[in-house]
Amino acid sequence: MNIIINGKIFNVNQNSNISDILEKNNLNSDNIVVELNQEIISRSRWKDIKVNKNDKIEIITAVGGG
Amino acid sequence: MSLIIDKRKYNSRLIIGSGKYKDYIQTKNALDASGAEMITVALKRTNIGQKKNQKNLLDYIDSKKYQILPNTAGCYSAKDAIRVALIARELLNDNLLKLEVLSDKETLLPNEKETLLAAKELTNLGFSLMVYTTDNISLAKELEKVGCASVMPLASPIGSGKGLTNKENLKKIIKNSNVPIIVDAGIGTASDATIAMELGCDGVLINSAIAMSDDPILMAEAMKHAVISGRKAYTAKRMKISEVAISSSNKTNAIS
Repeated sequence: MNIIINGKIFNVNQNSNISDILEKNNLNSDNIVVELNQEIISRSRWKDIKVNKNDKIEIITAVGGG
Repeated sequence: MSLIIDKRKYNSRLIIGSGKYKDYIQTKNALDASGAEMITVALKRTNIGQKKNQKNLLDYIDSKKYQILPNTAGCYSAKDAIRVALIARELLNDNLLKLEVLSDKETLLPNEKETLLAAKELTNLGFSLMVYTTDNISLAKELEKVGCASVMPLASPIGSGKGLTNKENLKKIIKNSNVPIIVDAGIGTASDATIAMELGCDGVLINSAIAMSDDPILMAEAMKHAVISGRKAYTAKRMKISEVAISSSNKTNAIS
């Protein structure tokens, strides 16, 4: 099924949870925040929250800025 | 005397930004050279498809040694700024935030209405705000009244390096204020930072002037001394200006 991660379409397995998606994309989970459909999902819930078709995920991190 | 923001003490009155450096190693080295104890970061989408264990900016900044100040860069409305603020709090587990709400991509000047609106909402949500603003004297006071921890008027537009184009307003903002006033944006070189400090600013926030110089590490060091110099001169209180020359040596017992 397709979901949108950071504005791009990704194909993920049915029943994937947020942790699965992060692992699959080599994302170091220490320095990121995950929003699912504009709601922040805290780290402790990543394994429990499954994604649905057309969900919008934002994965955000700190970068250089003034 | 230390700089105190939100009950936290800083020996350095220089805050640096982490943008526009060649790489994260240079960012870290500039931070060390600057003597700053606080560094701003922005929040953006992460790259998808990176290599395993690829390093992140936060891997280079020791959060035990340095205060990380997330900003709401890239926000043009209070609504967007609040969203980014909540993400920053989740990432860093800290209420300290640089609030920045801009008017447009062309001027990058603060949006006064949305900044004040966001400041009200975010202080209600428990954030300690260091707020980027214009040199509008009444707005600076309003931002203090709604509970901002520090008010940060610009010296000149972001990234312009034009220095202090609004000294009279800055002086009035400083005089009226009961919270630290930090000049944010527009510093171009060391003397600009010194002048800001001589006016009585409590600190300066500098990014481009360091990162965009030919030698960012050397410029970081120059800014460190510039801020210390300016503060010392402010504290020492400068001599009075005289319209006429006054000899430095004693007039009596001249050799004749």
